[in-house]
Amino acid sequence: MAALSEEVLLVVKRVRQRKQDGTLYLMTERIAWGPEGKDRFTVSHLYADIRCQKISPDGKSKIQLQLVLHTGESTTFHFANESTALKDRDAAKDLLQQLLPKFKKKANKQLEEKNKMLQEDPVLFQLYKDLVVSQVISAEEFWASRLKLSSVEHSLSNNSKQEVGISAAFLADIRPQTDGCNGLKYNLTSDIIESIFKTYPAVKQKYAENVPHNLTEKEFWTRFFQSHYFHRDRINTGQQDIFSECAKQDEKGLKSMVVQGVKNPMVDLLSLEDKTLDEGYGSLTVGPNSSKTVKENSNSAIIKRFNHHSAMVLAAGLRKVILVYWKFNKFYPELNLLFMNRDAPSDQASETSSTDGNSRDSDFFQPPIKKVKLQEAIEYEDLQNGSGPKTIALNLKKSDRYSHGPVPLQSHHYSTSQDIINSVSCIQEEISCYKPCLTRVMPSSAASSAITALSPGGLLMQAGTQQAVSQLVPTDVQSELKHLYTAAGELLRHFWSCFPVNTPFLEEKVVKMRSNLERFQSTKLRPFQEKIQREYLSTNLTSHLDEMIQAAYNKFHAWQTRRMARKT
Amino acid sequence: MKLNIEGLLVYFPYDYIYPEQYSYMLELKRTLDAKGHGVLEMPSGTGKTISLLSLIVAYQKAYPLEVTKLIYCSRTVPEIEKVVEELRKLMEFYTKETGEKNNFLALALSSRKNLCIHPEVSSLRFGKEVDGKCHSLTASYIRAQHHSNPSQPVCRFYEEFDAVGRQVPIPSGIYNLDDLKDFGRKKGWCPYYLARYSILHANIVVYSYHYLLDPKIADLVSKELAKKSVVVFDEAHNIDNVCIDSMSVNITRRTLDRCQTNVDTLQNTIQRIKETDAAKLREEYRRLVEGLKEANVARETDIYLSNPVLPDEVLQEAIPGSIRTAEHFVGFLKRFLEYLKARLRIHHVVQESSPQFLKDIYEKVCIDRKPLRFCAERLRSLLRTLEIADIADFSPITLISHFATLVSTYSKGFTIIIEPFEDKTPTIANPVLHFSCMDPSIAIKPVFERFQSVVITSGTLSPLDIYPRILDFRPVTMASFTMTLARTCLCPLIVGRGNDQVAMSSKFETREDFAVIRNYGNLLLEMSAIVPDGIVAFFTSYVYMENIVASWYEQGILENIQRNKLIFIETPDAAETSMALEKYQEACENGRGAILLSVARGKVSEGIDFVHHFGRAVIMFGVPYVYTQSRILKARLEYLRDQFQIRENDFLTFDAMRHAAQCVGRAIRGKTDYGLMIFADKRYARADKRGKLPRWIQEHISDGSLNLTIDETVQLSKHFLRQMAQPFRREDQLGLSLLTLEQLQSEEMLEKISQIAQQA
Repeated sequence: MAALSEEVLLVVKRVRQRKQDGTLYLMTERIAWGPEGKDRFTVSHLYADIRCQKISPDGKSKIQLQLVLHTGESTTFHFANESTALKDRDAAKDLLQQLLPKFKKKANKQLEEKNKMLQEDPVLFQLYKDLVVSQVISAEEFWASRLKLSSVEHSLSNNSKQEVGISAAFLADIRPQTDGCNGLKYNLTSDIIESIFKTYPAVKQKYAENVPHNLTEKEFWTRFFQSHYFHRDRINTGQQDIFSECAKQDEKGLKSMVVQGVKNPMVDLLSLEDKTLDEGYGSLTVGPNSSKTVKENSNSAIIKRFNHHSAMVLAAGLRKVILVYWKFNKFYPELNLLFMNRDAPSDQASETSSTDGNSRDSDFFQPPIKKVKLQEAIEYEDLQNGSGPKTIALNLKKSDRYSHGPVPLQSHHYSTSQDIINSVSCIQEEISCYKPCLTRVMPSSAASSAITALSPGGLLMQAGTQQAVSQLVPTDVQSELKHLYTAAGELLRHFWSCFPVNTPFLEEKVVKMRSNLERFQSTKLRPFQEKIQREYLSTNLTSHLDEMIQAAYNKFHAWQTRRMARKT
Repeated sequence: MKLNIEGLLVYFPYDYIYPEQYSYMLELKRTLDAKGHGVLEMPSGTGKTISLLSLIVAYQKAYPLEVTKLIYCSRTVPEIEKVVEELRKLMEFYTKETGEKNNFLALALSSRKNLCIHPEVSSLRFGKEVDGKCHSLTASYIRAQHHSNPSQPVCRFYEEFDAVGRQVPIPSGIYNLDDLKDFGRKKGWCPYYLARYSILHANIVVYSYHYLLDPKIADLVSKELAKKSVVVFDEAHNIDNVCIDSMSVNITRRTLDRCQTNVDTLQNTIQRIKETDAAKLREEYRRLVEGLKEANVARETDIYLSNPVLPDEVLQEAIPGSIRTAEHFVGFLKRFLEYLKARLRIHHVVQESSPQFLKDIYEKVCIDRKPLRFCAERLRSLLRTLEIADIADFSPITLISHFATLVSTYSKGFTIIIEPFEDKTPTIANPVLHFSCMDPSIAIKPVFERFQSVVITSGTLSPLDIYPRILDFRPVTMASFTMTLARTCLCPLIVGRGNDQVAMSSKFETREDFAVIRNYGNLLLEMSAIVPDGIVAFFTSYVYMENIVASWYEQGILENIQRNKLIFIETPDAAETSMALEKYQEACENGRGAILLSVARGKVSEGIDFVHHFGRAVIMFGVPYVYTQSRILKARLEYLRDQFQIRENDFLTFDAMRHAAQCVGRAIRGKTDYGLMIFADKRYARADKRGKLPRWIQEHISDGSLNLTIDETVQLSKHFLRQMAQPFRREDQLGLSLLTLEQLQSEEMLEKISQIAQQA
């Protein structure tokens, strides 16, 4: 039944669904269909559930509209009113076209993603069951750090769905058709528009500037197709054309690309020749060809445009990748991997500009790439015996920090490498002048008892004979223990991630986390401990878990007392 | 591995060897033993360079008195650097095997642009600017001025090198261009002059052709290289053109106008110096009277461009009296200039020989042959005396003086053509005087005469016998090697027809035919759908490519191709093309796939390799004949016919086929590589064309792959690509096209290897 609050936007009669006549209703939030003569809807879809709509081609005898849902199901409506079928269908289609995008954004993308993650990752799913289902922590808390983490991880490991590139022929897909009265009709889809924007940012800018203040969307695209910009062989003449500026920008972009030069020295045609003949020598006369015809000019314009177009399509696909690299760089500034130098222009630009503006300094970046390329070029893989796996060179800016790791400042004094070298040499020196003092050695009986004590089974080697946990503990307990470990680890991760506590939000969280930990201990850990006690297994199975939790408690306690002290 | 090549112990820095490499080394050793010259053709990607280096280094080590130096000439800077890196690998292997420290000195030499470390000079973009600026900082009079006036800038790297750099030879080792720069930076020495100085005692020198073949440069750089050197010209299939280019001169009206300015500047400078420092001019005059040779007094930095003629043609006498004083010489130049201007004012094409030109100039303006011959020498002396800093500005007058010297020195092998306008635009006057060399043997003759062994090698030298003929020398070995293959990794196909059975050809009569253009487009379209990653297509000329691209665009073929791959196109602008190339590689790298439209004889076809996925197919649209209507070419053909008995058609076909082979050969760079080679012109099927392809390509053209239609081509290509995409392991190759030491030593294999080399 249609709820009272729902406003019916469109009613189409004589619409068939599964060979049954009926009426189609388009309402504010859903689309519904009821069979003739009945007062209920047999089909009803929320707009948010609909992925897209499809229509039958114009020439077909049956005039249909198909709705594809996110779940993959689809529903087909057949417009059966002979005289107005096409009009009905188009009306429904247009209305849907307007409605669907509004709901698209609402569709809970995150939920989908979470679902997917849980499905893909059994460990995570178990964790979820352990922590959220058993109400140790709330779902939000569980996801709060997960999603953020996962998005980075995913983009790095390229697990996530790859960005779909742009078809090089997207302009060709706009097939102009004659509409019968000396006009042309272009079919534009949102995909094509997006491709145009991505490939030609200048057009996007123009669009933002002019639509809808100066032009309607339709006018904008009409002008676009009329412009010389779209027709690559036409030469830029008109000034009133809004796209002439785009062309100029493109030209500039192309020029700047050319001026930037290429990074791979093996394809740099400019530096290919070692000693070019001076002007005037040589037998070939490639004089300045000033007398180019218009035709030739337009031909070379086409060639330029094609190069530019391909470069832009390529760049549009790469932009995303660079962004990830850049992000990655931000996360791990020390690891400035070599291959990134090549792809992340932003990085390199900042690098060169920082070195007192001397442009030649980019020279220092060049050799590695050049060396690599040269080595690649002279390599005969089949002549060599198994060359080792290709490694990526680390390009460390501060090797010190890398090798010593992040060390807390207040930590005790650690030895510098010089100290270590000194002490090593010191020891070496001592060893070199070491002389065994044979008069003061141990009696042989003491020595032999020490050896027995240290042999397997001896006094001091008891632990060595112990059987591994895997042999002592039944598998079900093992797996339970594993789950406990992951769950505890997850909780502790949440707990420790709160430190240093410097915002009220974190304060709140850390308190909550402590109570979560306590709850975990009481609802999960204790029963487990009791269980293994009942089964007479050694209780130190969980001692490490206890220790970890205890450490967290201690930390919490210390933090709390400090806070109290500060407050009073 | 260690090899025994007819009694010579050769260290080869790999664990395996290709049979043809062994065979190549055998032939090379025979050439060296005979102290003669050789022509060797071996497919690209079969390790030619490392075989050459291994053998010659071993030879040098075994007979240090027989062969003292290896001079390795290559064409492009990346090639030069590659050679040095391979050499480094070899030397590392030597050190590892023998355990003794390597006492070889090997270095690369390149122009100042690639070696300069002076912060200001090296930031200049063009080689000419770098040379000019360097000269203005290092010329001897500048340095003398610096002595009295410390504010006069000089190059501190050169000063440092000049002060101490010559005393101790550079420590032995392998120096690539970057290593030289690093070494120079460390020591504070100029790497360029260090390298130029060090090549005299280096064991191995790697540089470009010009340093040996262009007399203007060779005289400066390579003059004192030892006779007992082995010279190798790698990638030598175009060597005749390099020779010709180095001795040809073109003069336009613009050149003459700029010359006029030069002469005026000279005159003013002379006037000024006469008022201030007349002694300097008198000193020069005195020197010229005494006939002191310029080279003896001039410092290395002063000589900007040496004499354009070959050393044995340079006259060993004093400069004639009529041009000894500076004013007289300038007057002489003026007269010569006016004469040239008058010659360019004609309205019809003139072609004449050098003697005719000399006779005419004597009749018209009374200029004798002898002073003309000294023109270059005299101008150089004058520029030095006048202490002209920016020598680059004087390139037009230098050009004219070189022309004068060349035209009066050589009476044979050159021709003068004056064209008042371009053929395409008869209404626009653009007179050009071409002084063109027609005989490549002139420039290379001293090289053959001077050095004991000269080896000419390349992947494409077929037919072998034509090179000795046009370069006029007697080789002791001529051999062509095939590529032994465990799987047929190259697939040459000759497409002669479209699916509509219309013959495909770039023949002049049909090249503008719509059916041909459409069929070419369909071929590319079909191939773009089945070939993975990169496709390179070559056209016969730039103009032709432009036309075809335009009509493909109109017909919508390009748009359809774009559905499959991105399109990049070579342009006349090198920087733009470099960018397109890089993007092309990027597109192949990331899996999108791309097509590069390029031009035979262009820079891409000559210098860029398309290894593995960068070129899975090469399509050669048409036969790349040179533009036959050019008068220079006609004159050259005539000369070839008269002097060397080479028929015009033979030469043209040879020239076209070597370029076609060059283009298609770009795709195969090794035995693990694979690629289609599609010859899209029915004329390739003819025996006279096919027979001129290199043997390693020819032997894979079966009768079944001649005159195919597009559909058939697609079927064959699909089959080939599917086969090639199967994993290819070392075991598949071993024993067939890849050998271990034991396999190499077996009798049976040695028997087989002896058949690889085909003596021409």
